[in-house]
Amino acid sequence: MTIESEGREEDPKDPRLLSRRGLFYGAAAGSLLVGAAAGFGGGFAARSAAEPVDVVDLDTSYPFYGTGEQAGIRTPQQRYSVYMTFDIAAGAGATDLQVLFARWSGAIAQMMAGKPIGAVQPDGEYAVANDTGEAYELGPAGLTVTLGLGPDVFGRRFGLAPQKPVHLAPLPALPSDNLDPALTGGDLSLQACAEDPQVAYHAIHDLARMAKGTAAVRWTVLGFGRASAGKGQSTPRNLQGFKDGTRNLKEDADYEQFVRVTDDAAWTRGGAYQVVRKIQMRIENWDADRVSDQQHVIGRTKQAGAPLTGVAEFDAPDFAAQDASGNPVIDPTAHIALAAHENNGGLKILRRGYNYTDGLNHYGQLDAGLLFLSYQNDPAAFVALQTKLGSSDLLNEYISHIGSALFFVPPAPPPGRYLAYQLFE
Amino acid sequence: MAVLALAACAPTTAGPGTSASGSGVTQVAITLTGDTGDACTVSPDSVPAGPVTFTVTNRSSTGITELELLDGARILGEKENLAPGLPAVSFTLTLGGGRYSVYCPGAQTPNTPFTVTGAAAPTATGDAAQLLQQGTAEYGQYVATQIAGMVTAVANLETAVDSGDVAAAQEKYALARPFYEKVESDVSGFLLPGAAPTSNRGNLDYLIDMRASSLDPAVGWSGLHAIERDLWQGGAITDQTKKYASDLVSNVTELASLAQGLNYRPEDLANGAAALLEEIQSNKISGEEERYSHLDLLDFAANIEGAQQAFAALQPGLTRIDPALAATVAREFGTVNGMLDIYRDASIPGGFTYYTPAVRAADGAALSKAVQALQEPMSQIAEKVATAQ
Repeated sequence: MTIESEGREEDPKDPRLLSRRGLFYGAAAGSLLVGAAAGFGGGFAARSAAEPVDVVDLDTSYPFYGTGEQAGIRTPQQRYSVYMTFDIAAGAGATDLQVLFARWSGAIAQMMAGKPIGAVQPDGEYAVANDTGEAYELGPAGLTVTLGLGPDVFGRRFGLAPQKPVHLAPLPALPSDNLDPALTGGDLSLQACAEDPQVAYHAIHDLARMAKGTAAVRWTVLGFGRASAGKGQSTPRNLQGFKDGTRNLKEDADYEQFVRVTDDAAWTRGGAYQVVRKIQMRIENWDADRVSDQQHVIGRTKQAGAPLTGVAEFDAPDFAAQDASGNPVIDPTAHIALAAHENNGGLKILRRGYNYTDGLNHYGQLDAGLLFLSYQNDPAAFVALQTKLGSSDLLNEYISHIGSALFFVPPAPPPGRYLAYQLFE
Repeated sequence: MAVLALAACAPTTAGPGTSASGSGVTQVAITLTGDTGDACTVSPDSVPAGPVTFTVTNRSSTGITELELLDGARILGEKENLAPGLPAVSFTLTLGGGRYSVYCPGAQTPNTPFTVTGAAAPTATGDAAQLLQQGTAEYGQYVATQIAGMVTAVANLETAVDSGDVAAAQEKYALARPFYEKVESDVSGFLLPGAAPTSNRGNLDYLIDMRASSLDPAVGWSGLHAIERDLWQGGAITDQTKKYASDLVSNVTELASLAQGLNYRPEDLANGAAALLEEIQSNKISGEEERYSHLDLLDFAANIEGAQQAFAALQPGLTRIDPALAATVAREFGTVNGMLDIYRDASIPGGFTYYTPAVRAADGAALSKAVQALQEPMSQIAEKVATAQ
């Protein structure tokens, strides 16, 4: 006998649907109103009509299954994230890993569709809930969960060494590294991003629970605001108050050239390497720094985010420009000068970072910074950029790289399969 | 009807699945799909009595991750971790005639009727429910033994305290500690006769095992940890210490009399074991339990022993119901015990390294993670054994 699904219909009177849709947020939405006022003779300058406006629809859901990269890399960057790494248990074998990836995949597909992963309130008096419940009825909220595999997955213990992605090895020591071992490395990573922080947290909460016995939590970062822009998104600001991600990799052609893995073993194709860095900011010092110095350090103006050689955010920086005294307008060791593709043989990476806070440190200072996440088809790209930045970036006075890891992010599975299934067949 | 045999289950490749094989085992294919809502297909849905192999394949359902073959509310066989893409898995049962159902939680229609034609099986001996009952009786013996041991140990502690010898009293304290920690979840609910349940004054758990972090100023210090405080923090035995010891003896004696003839259901054992693991996470990992003596690892080991004894009593029956779960829990107990062994030190009262703040900082997280890995599968047991009756 076959048990067929009854098509579920959305109730148009369901108040959740109404309340979830059409939330506008951010400065861009505000500027629309300002622009409208300007049309009636107000004194404010209207923004360009081409400026992106971010619309948050908590009913948005993204597919988990596919033929390209996993969701959460090129997906329009959501506002919140929870990132967690895991150590595989000493006693776990390849079959345990296979079952974990399959269970995680099924659960991620459910949650990305806005569904619980099992009963929130099970029938049996003595039963424990399969789904912890805190995201129940919150909708999909644009959730994506992205799995990364660390170098030790391909060590000898699981018999997977022959399938190791060619560039997967711990990142080398880099200039200015100040890494805390407790915030570094890991065998697996999960990046959950959503438009509702509770939806992102629930995903990590339940996936970590599911992993117990096979993989244990190692370190985690809660990102409360996006600090990079994807294609068509307004540029957000990091906790230093500067726009971050203006020159992020956004074009499909660049994605193909710099991010998508195409030249390694068949199973890796469509994947990418994920670099994660926990970058602590010395926020009080930065706050007390005069704005001209802040702009000198970054190489951009604070409010508009324009390069010091331009007037608008997306003006191309002119690294050759000199002032009247013959000094470069953008210091060669300014952050944007060292990071610019023009000064790195054309090299680009896809950034997808988040602002984070861990509250206060022991000295009563704000403990906060940037969870830097980047995607590229060879971690050497990040290593090259960070070698320069770590050596001479003016910004180093105000930041410290305290956590780090590298993962290979396998391609999305097709329907009926699971993440990294190719490793087990 | 009843299960006569449950063969070991192993991943196999899915067979065509509907015909009886040459060995007389009927093949049934269960297929999970999610293309048009999560669905569970059983083919055929009627078979003759005898051995039946169920082969489960999840083609595309992300909403169904487990299924059970039920006889009423009773679980006869089950499979978990049924994520799309994994190899098919199978289990074999010998079924007598009757009406069963295949339960797929998460499916649009969770229950699928499954009919076995032919004679009903005679009531079997040694089935899961009976094994579980047997286990609870054995566990009752274990609890009685621990309580008797506690009565003797606190009397020895009182003698040492009365002698005024701090080192001897510390030794006896360490010897007295484990008994309560092994069976705490079974005996922590007793009140002195006539006492109000809302006051700690007559709450035997408070009077015997209160800690600094659970101090009720209206009642004050009492019991084992009051003695611990005097022996380790104060380093001296006072008249008040002796009063704590004599009160402890009378309270434990009262507890032993109240706890006589306790009866347990299988789910009580499972819930009790889970509660002992919670005790570890909330009080031992943090070093809160033995704040002055740092003997927390002794209590930790006692909580584990008590939980493992409860599990061992359930294990034969649980193995009939869910062999994979029983094996997982057994394995995780092994992991935790292996970690505890690292800290054994016969030169220290109680036989374990002191759980100092330095040890806690270095190893607390690893110990907690090992217990977490045990807690999750352990939390599944109560419902399984409760419905097996």
